[in-house]
Amino acid sequence: MSGPAKNTARPVLLARNLDKHFPAPEHQKIHAVNDVSFAIAEGEVLGMVGESGSGKSTVGRLVLGLLPPTAGTVEFDGKDLAALDARQMRASRADMQMVFQDPWSALNPRMAVGRQIAEPLLLHTKLDRSGRKAKVAELADRVRLPTTYLNRLPADLSGGQLQRVCIAKAIATEPKLIVLDEPTSSLDLSVRAGILDLLADLRRDLGVAMLFISHDLGTVKLISDRIVVLYLGTVVEEGAADTLFDTPAHPYTQALLSAHLPPDPAVKVQRHLLEGEVPSPIHLPPGCRFAGRCPLAIDPCRSALPPLDSVPGDVADHRAACIRIAEGANRLVQPQHQMANP
Amino acid sequence: MALLSVEDLETHFVSRNLDNEVLVAHALNGVSFAVDRGQVLGLVGETGAGKSLTAQSVMGLLRPPALRVGGKALFDGTDLFELPTDTMNAMRGRDIALVVQNPRTSLDPLTRIGDQLVRIQRVHREISLADARKRAIAMLDAVGIPEPKRRMRAWPHELSGGMAQRVLIAMALINDPKLLIADEPTTGLDVTVQAQILDLLRDLVIDRDMAAIIITHDLGVVAHYCDRVVVMFAGGIVEAGPVGAVFGQPCHPYTRALLAATPERLALGSGRRFGGPPPDLYNLPKGCHYRDRCGHATELCEQTPSFVTVASDHDARCHYAASLKDQPL
Amino acid sequence: MTTIDLPAGRSERRWPTLNRLVGVGRRSPTATVGFVIVVAFALMAIFAQYITPHDPVEAYPRNILNPPDAEFWLGTDGNGMDIFSRVIYGARYAFAIAVPAVLLSIVIGVPIGLWTGYRGGLFDEGLMRFFDALRVFPSIILALAVVAAAGPSVINVVIVIGLLDSPIFVRVVRAEVLALRSSTMVEAARAAGNPTWRILLVHLLPNAIQGAMAQTAVRAAWAVRISATLAFLGVGIQVPTPEWGVMIRQGAEYMVTGQWWVALFPGIALVVMVLGLNMLGDGLQDLLNPRRKG
Repeated sequence: MSGPAKNTARPVLLARNLDKHFPAPEHQKIHAVNDVSFAIAEGEVLGMVGESGSGKSTVGRLVLGLLPPTAGTVEFDGKDLAALDARQMRASRADMQMVFQDPWSALNPRMAVGRQIAEPLLLHTKLDRSGRKAKVAELADRVRLPTTYLNRLPADLSGGQLQRVCIAKAIATEPKLIVLDEPTSSLDLSVRAGILDLLADLRRDLGVAMLFISHDLGTVKLISDRIVVLYLGTVVEEGAADTLFDTPAHPYTQALLSAHLPPDPAVKVQRHLLEGEVPSPIHLPPGCRFAGRCPLAIDPCRSALPPLDSVPGDVADHRAACIRIAEGANRLVQPQHQMANP
Repeated sequence: MALLSVEDLETHFVSRNLDNEVLVAHALNGVSFAVDRGQVLGLVGETGAGKSLTAQSVMGLLRPPALRVGGKALFDGTDLFELPTDTMNAMRGRDIALVVQNPRTSLDPLTRIGDQLVRIQRVHREISLADARKRAIAMLDAVGIPEPKRRMRAWPHELSGGMAQRVLIAMALINDPKLLIADEPTTGLDVTVQAQILDLLRDLVIDRDMAAIIITHDLGVVAHYCDRVVVMFAGGIVEAGPVGAVFGQPCHPYTRALLAATPERLALGSGRRFGGPPPDLYNLPKGCHYRDRCGHATELCEQTPSFVTVASDHDARCHYAASLKDQPL
Repeated sequence: MTTIDLPAGRSERRWPTLNRLVGVGRRSPTATVGFVIVVAFALMAIFAQYITPHDPVEAYPRNILNPPDAEFWLGTDGNGMDIFSRVIYGARYAFAIAVPAVLLSIVIGVPIGLWTGYRGGLFDEGLMRFFDALRVFPSIILALAVVAAAGPSVINVVIVIGLLDSPIFVRVVRAEVLALRSSTMVEAARAAGNPTWRILLVHLLPNAIQGAMAQTAVRAAWAVRISATLAFLGVGIQVPTPEWGVMIRQGAEYMVTGQWWVALFPGIALVVMVLGLNMLGDGLQDLLNPRRKG
């Protein structure tokens, strides 16, 4: 993988040709993830966007070894996860942590939050009781959680505070990578802003790499260096955050970005309406997964899967999987629906 | 005259704790707003601000421990709270319809969607089976469901989230209500589907000259689909006005904080603190309820502020509303 | 110290006040009545030697089958033993069998439920089918057979009842664990690097045990009933032990000849005790398991 200066650093995570199938009734298979490859450099924040069924959460679990891939490899810090035995896998979890969407259900309801923050320290470090206690207080301070809450049960804390607990737990062992699966989706706007602010601080101070999985385009744009767009378990586009938002190449990315509603009535929104719905991941369409809904699809789109190629004329690491880019026919030009702004 | 005019709505949660003491949470404290025909009103605020409770109070759908203790809801001039239960039951679903979150759990899983659409018509009016079916198919078509005739025979579990939400909207609209209340109608749906549903809602409001209230926490939805916006905090309204005015010149510190917290305006690493705990509804502080979280609060704020009209039809409940109006966010 | 004021804490621990007792009682009147009954029997069992006028196994040969009178308040039985004293002492045997039997069921059932619920697979399937097969037999017949083979003693009765009842706890705990197994909490625990034993003991057990705890009183009621039944059928505890089942068995012979008091009073004690435990159990399930409230 080549890219700007930051990307040439050694990747902390390298996912190669990941496939994940889940069993479905009547001996069918759900193709949740199909041939997904990407890398995350040290200290980089990679945003992963996609709608429901795009397989983004599954990818998050695959790269942490929480699910075994059907095919493909995950290399973390130079080691192939598949080669590790259970004990080595557990030990390496000190370097890769996860933050979940719903902090209410990610924490043990019967354990004081301070003890939960201390858990990774207990599992992965040799700190004694008082050492852990001091470190927990330091972590609470770092995530701006009042230390008076540490002896309380999760039920006594608000959603934002609980997510801070989860983040404190995730950074306790100073990991190299944190996978964040929709970490702000279940939180109120102002609480969300506080968490995003915290994540930006942590990333600056600790240099931890992040895989930030979200369907919220505004949030992803704000926090990511690079962005990967998934559709039906396949990467359709990847590139630097600014490039991707300014000049999306793949028609799906264009439609997705155009559907985003900025919270400002003064911004005119020109939306590209998509016809139909996301096809079933059991019977994947041959060819481009998006062809069935794409207004620009031509016959070759429906027969062969388009490769993820560099977008000509753009910076090198901007790549998209659309055969119509080469002929310059990849732009959704006529907005099919003009917003009647109040 | 406004189609729905809510005046001084007060709803409490009354419960007993383990010590057998009666506890009263002041969940809604004097909520007043109005919505006209052909208008979409957005109701925004954080979790626990009382958005959904307002809708449930107006619809008469409160369950204990929630209890409405005061206020009026004038619908076409009649106070909904004064109506006998039977009359209110008949109006619900016919004159006022509610679309709730979680489309999947709101449909009867054991009845085909066509039968549900027919049933809800025949509950509210004299209509032949054949006519009801015809109208149901037309309605499914109107909410953008392909092959409506075939879909009449579909079971709720066969529908995707977006389709189920369309069916719910079809059910809400099939009796030509005058007012539609949509509680988080697109939460949990994908952005591309969200856009389709909101377009549909907006077109229907205009075509049928209805009024609609959209309850949401998504300021993007309000900015692009609502005419007026009401901002709620701790069971009260802090600011109300036309969308352009409120978003362009927010006058209440809470509205301003809310707008500043949107990803589009958020400046990361600014050191600014966001949010904070909502006030304890069991023990509301005197004066302005936003005082503890407000960067502008002074001693004056220990006195309850009244609404200040900062522009025509644009009010904010803050002592400093007028001076905040022209300050940049 | 931080300057942030905490909201009124809900997990704040306080000593129960009279108000709190009234509050709990109002929330579950059934549990309160059951609780009072069980406590009354427990006090009877503890202080039996102080509140009984006679030794429960002392025979008064001149007072055989006395009807209730001033000296023998509830009459005497066929051996001339004081029925009132024997009924009081019977509470001891009820507790002495029910408490260890339920504890044994928990000790056996909870770990199996935890493990099989978490692991799933063939072992889980096989075990559940085995329990299903076991359930087809009426448990009383099984208990009869086993106690008859092992010999009648309090210990044997406790072991048999404990074993027979442990599948209940396996089921309850297994069901909770099955629901939790694929939860975010367990996934988060795995992602943090917890070994399996720690997930089971630290994260699953405290969250899965509540359903089992809610079952204890009802299972104790079952244990009291089964032990009385075994004694009544003559395979459990034997005469002259003052056990209710034994006493009812003795008294049954005299029902036809008109000496009704011999069987009636231990019968009443048994019914009230079982009822009390069941009421307490129902109330506990409501209080501990909010899901049941709908």
